[in-house]
Amino acid sequence: MQVTVKILRYNPEKDEKQHYESYQVEADPTDRVLDLLEKIKGYQDGTLAFRRSCAHGICGSCAMRINGRNRLACKTLVQDLNTTKITVEPLLGLRVIKDLVVDMEIFFEHYRAVKPYFVNDEPPPEKERLQSPEERERFDDTTKCILCGACTTSCPSFWANRNYLGPAAIVAAHRFIFDSRDRAAAERLKILSDHFGVYHCHTIYNCTDACPRGIQVTKAIGEVKKAIMTGSLD
Amino acid sequence: MSLDGSVGLQWLRYRGGGTMLAWLLHRLTGLGIVLFVGTHVIAAFFLQQLGSDLAITITAIYESWAFQVIVYFCVIYHVINGLRIIILDLWPQLLEYQHEAIWLQWFIIIPIYGLSIFVLIQHGLIGG
Repeated sequence: MQVTVKILRYNPEKDEKQHYESYQVEADPTDRVLDLLEKIKGYQDGTLAFRRSCAHGICGSCAMRINGRNRLACKTLVQDLNTTKITVEPLLGLRVIKDLVVDMEIFFEHYRAVKPYFVNDEPPPEKERLQSPEERERFDDTTKCILCGACTTSCPSFWANRNYLGPAAIVAAHRFIFDSRDRAAAERLKILSDHFGVYHCHTIYNCTDACPRGIQVTKAIGEVKKAIMTGSLD
Repeated sequence: MSLDGSVGLQWLRYRGGGTMLAWLLHRLTGLGIVLFVGTHVIAAFFLQQLGSDLAITITAIYESWAFQVIVYFCVIYHVINGLRIIILDLWPQLLEYQHEAIWLQWFIIIPIYGLSIFVLIQHGLIGG
């Protein structure tokens, strides 16, 4: 089948602003959008810039707007888009470096702000720190995050104010706040209750719909909000 | 040189679906309520402070049934959508059913709004 791929392009060396360029590509219904981008770059226009790494939905490099919604190009099949006209644009709200490549620095800055690592100063036990299956289950969903940025860059609150920590950072905090072995929950909750923390979330739900890993992002943010409100992690 | 990442009007093309529409409508209906209350305040100001006839004109606008049809929607939508948000904030485990909650909210809004408009138009047309 013949597919028209319209890409929002930007070359910092010659363009004042972004513009669309269209490409005709021969594709199978089971091809992924990433395959189409590879074909364009390989056979039609070598100047096209985009990120990709694992191409299997694990590394989170190829998040972009496909037909108006944030998705991973490597997990989006042509047949699932139900159209032969595909529009590909960079993630919204981040500085565009070139074509589909965006500057993720502010995203990772917010991520680092919530202390996304295990904190426990108590002397380590002889073997591992034990945890029951129920305690592990409590934060299982948020361990799946691959930091692709699809959630944060689909959030209207983030578009309006890039100081907002954003869904991905809150998901990362949730993963440790509700970990029974961690001891820095209060510290993280304090960071998240700040002006640019969880209360910028207006339960718009774009983040959950955009997450390629199926994480219940809005639910995780809701649980953090409740923990701040009640002062309890139960 | 690179683009600074400001979103501009590009957000209008983001396909967020029903949940994003619910949020957008919440903002717009909130503005509608502010407009309605604002016209009241302005009319009262012109009437009491300046004794101007402009007060009668403004009152005629916000009391017209065309204006009321919009105001009823703004108030009913804003209240019920607001209740949905409060309930989901208090019981975040229900956020998994956000899409269902939005359908449920429309099942509540449509009959209440429909009935209100029916009564409003009936009174507007036959008086009472």
